[in-house]
Amino acid sequence: MYARPRSKLIGLLYLTPALVFVTAFTAYPFVQMVWLSFNNWTLITPPRFIGINNFTRALGDDQFWVSLGYTLEYTLLITPILMIGGYALALLVSPNTPLRRFTRAVIFIPVVIGLGVSSLLWVWLFDPRVGLINQALSDLGVIDEPIQWLGTDAWVSTWSIILSVVWKVLGFGMILFVAAIHAIPHEINEATMVDGASFWQRTRRVTIPLTSPTILLVTLISVIGSLLAFDQFYIMTAGQPFNQTATAVFYVYLNSFPYLKLGYGAALSLILALIILVFTIVQMSLTRRRRA
Amino acid sequence: MRTDLKLPALAIVAVLMVGACSSGTPSSSPGGAASVAPGGSAPASAPASVAPSEAAAPTPEPAEACAQSQDPNAMQMWERSGGNKGMVDILVCAWNAANAAKPINLSYIVHTEMVAKIAQGVASGDVPDLMGMDLIYAPQFENADQLVDITDQTKDWPELADVSPGHKTVATFNDRLFGVPLYADVSALFYNKDLFTQAGLDPDKPPTSLAELRTYADAITKLGDDIKGYYLPGNCAGCNIFTVGPLMWASGATIEAEKCGSEPLVGDGVKQVAQWAREMVAAGNVPEGARAETGATFAEQFGSGKLGMMGTGNFNIVLARDQMKDHPFEFGISLLPGVEAGKYASFIGGDLVVIPKGSKRIDDALAFMHYLLTDESQVELYAKALNLTTRTDPKLTDNQYYAAEPLIADVAKALAVGRTPYTLTFFEQINSPQGPWLQMLQKAYYTDEDLDAVINKAKDDMKAISCT
Repeated sequence: MYARPRSKLIGLLYLTPALVFVTAFTAYPFVQMVWLSFNNWTLITPPRFIGINNFTRALGDDQFWVSLGYTLEYTLLITPILMIGGYALALLVSPNTPLRRFTRAVIFIPVVIGLGVSSLLWVWLFDPRVGLINQALSDLGVIDEPIQWLGTDAWVSTWSIILSVVWKVLGFGMILFVAAIHAIPHEINEATMVDGASFWQRTRRVTIPLTSPTILLVTLISVIGSLLAFDQFYIMTAGQPFNQTATAVFYVYLNSFPYLKLGYGAALSLILALIILVFTIVQMSLTRRRRA
Repeated sequence: MRTDLKLPALAIVAVLMVGACSSGTPSSSPGGAASVAPGGSAPASAPASVAPSEAAAPTPEPAEACAQSQDPNAMQMWERSGGNKGMVDILVCAWNAANAAKPINLSYIVHTEMVAKIAQGVASGDVPDLMGMDLIYAPQFENADQLVDITDQTKDWPELADVSPGHKTVATFNDRLFGVPLYADVSALFYNKDLFTQAGLDPDKPPTSLAELRTYADAITKLGDDIKGYYLPGNCAGCNIFTVGPLMWASGATIEAEKCGSEPLVGDGVKQVAQWAREMVAAGNVPEGARAETGATFAEQFGSGKLGMMGTGNFNIVLARDQMKDHPFEFGISLLPGVEAGKYASFIGGDLVVIPKGSKRIDDALAFMHYLLTDESQVELYAKALNLTTRTDPKLTDNQYYAAEPLIADVAKALAVGRTPYTLTFFEQINSPQGPWLQMLQKAYYTDEDLDAVINKAKDDMKAISCT
């Protein structure tokens, strides 16, 4: 059955606010960025069309690929922690008891703090002179000398940042997982319990399969978010030591703003977006195939 | 929509949003990403500006009330935030008090965002009537034809004959003048006379060469109790060009590639200083915490009383005096030496006052520029605040305020041996935390990598940057 023209018009009217919003704040900036990527523009001089030069330059830019490699490494490290940690917490706190509701709220609180603010907070906590973490470890007799958590050793810096980000965002995945677990009909759980299924059997056979759309969603958001990581690295290490903790977006930022190479920055952004597109399609395909 | 189309469509929408976000929409997600907004939050580890005391909070402190004006006739002035604030507030307040009919409304911009902010203003046509500009970035804006040429209007100003040569160099482009000094910072060697005495050194004989500096540092470090001989800021590009750059210049080297085709890092002095610094770190003469120094605590180090010597700037005199109230010690100032005894150098930094194209108050802005250069302003504003005068005329530097603080006269000697790098790509080559300058120094300080290879890599990177 086909809708009448009048109904179509009304439907379109309902969609108009969203369409205007998406056009103005997503499609238009994206088209602008594509245009920019074919130009050399410093903001203080007029844009100059240079064809695909920005893209060919990016292909030979070692630092960009090093930064991208580090970003992928960071994504691979943090995503399992966020997924498994968030899901485990959700399983623990999903029953609606007062204590568990309170626990959910406490774990979720850091999510509402800005990433910049939380990163600064952790910079202070990790500070070798006045930071609480070194002081606590020293008082407990674990360390004799303060540890330089940020900016001197790439591995230590990366795990310090991961700790800060996990603290900040673990509650986000947890809340989504809790909502998904709550959406499972009670009858199914009751039936499995009548059948004598243990907690782990119910989790493996019922809870995880029935919450898999949410798992896919959280994985996607987490992976895309990690590939776009910027604030925490900008604030906590600024890419140090030796540019080993410089993420791809940090490098895009450096080129676009401090270096005033907006065209090149736009080209790098597009390459990054393309890589994320590939990741997303592969990830969604694999998940769909497994579910089918 | 058919199922096989849903997947790529969803992915494309996600990527569109990603792309759009990277153009400026704030977002936060479980991966801890947020978009890159123009002029986003300033980092704790910001690329330090030329004067490293200027590590600033994300939101700059506003100007003093007397430096602000709500008068509709007020000139709008931008200035970068940081340790310069006290001096610039004084200058603008004095102008406003003397020129009630054409006051200045001063706004501070986070120093790490100043260039981007000006560039955005230029692109959108929303520029102030005048502005302070880190002198190191002036050539870039002059080359882009974004500053008002003031050569003809200032040709009869006698004060221009003796303005700080470093400022004048970068304010001049193709023999045309685009600005005058707002204030000056110079680097020098500060040394703790009490620690010199404790270590058996003569407190009136600061080191005259890098070898002496090393010997003195060894002796001071031996005192123990967390006392160290020297300070090398390990994670601050700006601090290093300010204090390690002069060690290389004094050793006969050059650093930046001035333009495409120029050779950077020329001379044996580059490797000699890098080797010297590596050995200083290995000998334990530098505090371990210096490795993480981003510039945020750079200016506070000397006043702690735990350092025997340190390359820092004139701004540190007042700060150190303030810091040492509960642990007083006597200190002296000498020049930063090179490999050969008696050779010295300094970095002349600071800001210029410039007029951006599009300013509606060129004549009034010029009047303010002239006001800064007058004899009275030089003595009663700059010298009285224990800042360096921006003119070198001896009759100005011979004043009652400097007489009461002889260290100012000592640090002012740096002007005679100082220089200011000149390149259109200063930030990329030198000041960027990811730039070749800091990377080279970090590898010199903290690794055993072959120094020739490290320096050659930095050379290649600097050359490539200078041609982009």
